[in-house]
Amino acid sequence: MSKVITHGFKTTQLVYTLNHFVQRSRIHSRLIGQNVAGHRFFSISGCLCSRGPPQRKSTPAVHIPGLEPITYADRMHYVPGLAKPMFPRWERGWYDPHHYIGPKNAEMPLYKEKPCYIFHQKTSVLEGVRQALWLTKSKLIKGLPSQILSLAEDTANHVENQDERVQQAIKHARFWDTTENRPTRQRFCPVLLDDLLHLCRTVQAKHPALGRRMLAENYSLAACWSRGEDLFQVRGKNGILLNSVSPLPAVAGKEEVASTADYVLETFYPISPTIDLQLTHVYQEKSHTGFEEGYPYPYAHTLFLPESGQAYRLRPEQLRAKMVMFAFGNALARAQALYGTQPQVLEQPVVVQCVATNGRVFQFAVFQLNTTELGTDAGVKNMVWLEEDQPLYDYAKVRPLIRKREVQVPAGLAGYRPDTFKKFLALYLHGAA
Amino acid sequence: MSVSALSRALRCLSLSPVCSVAQGGTLAGRLPSPAGSHAALWSVVSHSHPIHAKLSAPPMQWRGFFTGIPLAQNSRFWKQRAKYTIRPIGKKKTGGRDHTGKLCTAGIGGGHKQRYRIVDFQRLTFEKNTEKQSFEEKVIEVRYDPCRSADIALVAGGSRKRWIIATENMQTGDIIKTSSVIGRMAVSANEGDSYALGALPVGTLVNNLELYPGKGAQYIRAAGTCGVLLRKVNGTAIVQLPSKQQVQVLETCMATVGRVSNVNHNKRIIGKAGRNRWLGNRPSSGLWKRKGGWAGRKIKPLPPMKSYVNLASVGSAS
Repeated sequence: MSKVITHGFKTTQLVYTLNHFVQRSRIHSRLIGQNVAGHRFFSISGCLCSRGPPQRKSTPAVHIPGLEPITYADRMHYVPGLAKPMFPRWERGWYDPHHYIGPKNAEMPLYKEKPCYIFHQKTSVLEGVRQALWLTKSKLIKGLPSQILSLAEDTANHVENQDERVQQAIKHARFWDTTENRPTRQRFCPVLLDDLLHLCRTVQAKHPALGRRMLAENYSLAACWSRGEDLFQVRGKNGILLNSVSPLPAVAGKEEVASTADYVLETFYPISPTIDLQLTHVYQEKSHTGFEEGYPYPYAHTLFLPESGQAYRLRPEQLRAKMVMFAFGNALARAQALYGTQPQVLEQPVVVQCVATNGRVFQFAVFQLNTTELGTDAGVKNMVWLEEDQPLYDYAKVRPLIRKREVQVPAGLAGYRPDTFKKFLALYLHGAA
Repeated sequence: MSVSALSRALRCLSLSPVCSVAQGGTLAGRLPSPAGSHAALWSVVSHSHPIHAKLSAPPMQWRGFFTGIPLAQNSRFWKQRAKYTIRPIGKKKTGGRDHTGKLCTAGIGGGHKQRYRIVDFQRLTFEKNTEKQSFEEKVIEVRYDPCRSADIALVAGGSRKRWIIATENMQTGDIIKTSSVIGRMAVSANEGDSYALGALPVGTLVNNLELYPGKGAQYIRAAGTCGVLLRKVNGTAIVQLPSKQQVQVLETCMATVGRVSNVNHNKRIIGKAGRNRWLGNRPSSGLWKRKGGWAGRKIKPLPPMKSYVNLASVGSAS
């Protein structure tokens, strides 16, 4: 308090002698200002500080050389007839991270004239899978490839007591994981994914090649390509990546790949394929898998996306588009690390799988990168196999759903679908069994 | 404690002539706080050391400061923003008060919380770096808007999305066209398309009428309304408004073909007084007033045609 008062004495002599009352009231208001509760009186602060009427047009200031305007700076209040004082902008003499103002975009070292469209984990593209297919120059095939389906059907690959243990995993995620009445989606979705992955790892006794895998969370991907005249990027963190020592075998043979050259990509006029992508002029043209050079598990095997809807929530169609884009990004970064950044038709296609779930419904995708020549629509296309909306179970209710005094859905797990986990397991075993 | 306070006060002071100090001492003495007594004490000390006064530096500028934070309660500028967005903007209820806090519109207050969606009334706005004569857009969604009586539609074309006023039969998936071309032949326009008035055939029902080319639609935007393009006279078009008044505008003004959506807006049943409060309308006073000249049927001639032609074009300059 004493500091406040004494600070007031720094003022000039003139003001004190001239205007006692103003100065005193000023000090008084400063005392109030020190007290936070002073702000709460809306009747005081509201009428003092509410925004005024629309600003008038300012008259241009006239500068006459040799003449100095007399301002009311030393009076410290407005005086009619005197000029408004102009003070130099106050510069903080030190670096304060809380008040840092960054340089303008155009002054940044990474600024480029040509814009870049960035797809990141929060991007929700309007046209969904169609748009992702155009961006990645891919052909869509509904359903999973036959190799994976045959792996799923083969009972020799199954986990012991598979159905029972999967149901245990679901119940763990939905009922037993928490002391709350019912866990939120943010909680049970990653837990279910972890449990299912754990079940998959137990098959390692039968297939020792599964030991040469590694899960990576929070890896950051950068893939850059040009499509048409525009530059595109897939950027940032997303999901959990299962890496492997050896690459996945190509899913489609050479003839099938060659036959995609006749396929005509679907367009969606009047909407441009760049809609909803983030447009930026400050970017780095970088392609990196997110792992260093000597990483022992260099090949991306499967990307798992838990869609728990924490800060942003994607609708199923937009989630599938994200799966395609990020699987493509992983494949492209790997291909550019292997074969160089020159666009070419790849000798050995790069295959990346992707699984997304919201804790109940699963989406499966297999992406095969046949070509990195994405500039034109002609030539060989990439291929996507997409299995949509596969529910693992219908209901997991903590309390029964009762309508008109009849139990519609009983409490507990109901409507378990064994086929979904078979596909999940088959995608995991692909390349090892 | 007093010694420490004294030393601190001495440290943070700049020196000034004795007379001002004495003045300040008397002033501080009047202040009803313990801090004031510290200051008074200091003034006594400085009297006993007159050498300090001779060392005085030129007085420092003290610019004062503001202790309050501005509370923009009735700011009218929340709608103006640098960048267009389709995201709804939170808005505050004005209660019929203007920026000075005075009542400017009676009968407004309360109601459900609303969010504002920026409607683009300039149908003919091109995307950045593309100057086209005409373009098409796809309707993504038609929905209710709390801030107006008509429905609004989200349309996407190129790499942008925007809200526009929906017409009567607009549906998700429709393709709508916007064109500024005025050809020799009148176009056969579909509902929801936007053309310059000169390109439309006489007798077309129009809405979202511009008064000045490029300024944006100002007339015929309420639910279920439509105007009629009556005739076209050398470079101008005459349109009959829903009030049956006729306006004359330049033929380069844009208008949307068809009728505004939510046709049954005037047939809805409010049902109870409380629903009007939900909508933010307050009841009238209830005081009995003798009916005057405002009551009853009046027979008046239609006002003369209003012309917006000779006035300077506002939007074309900007």
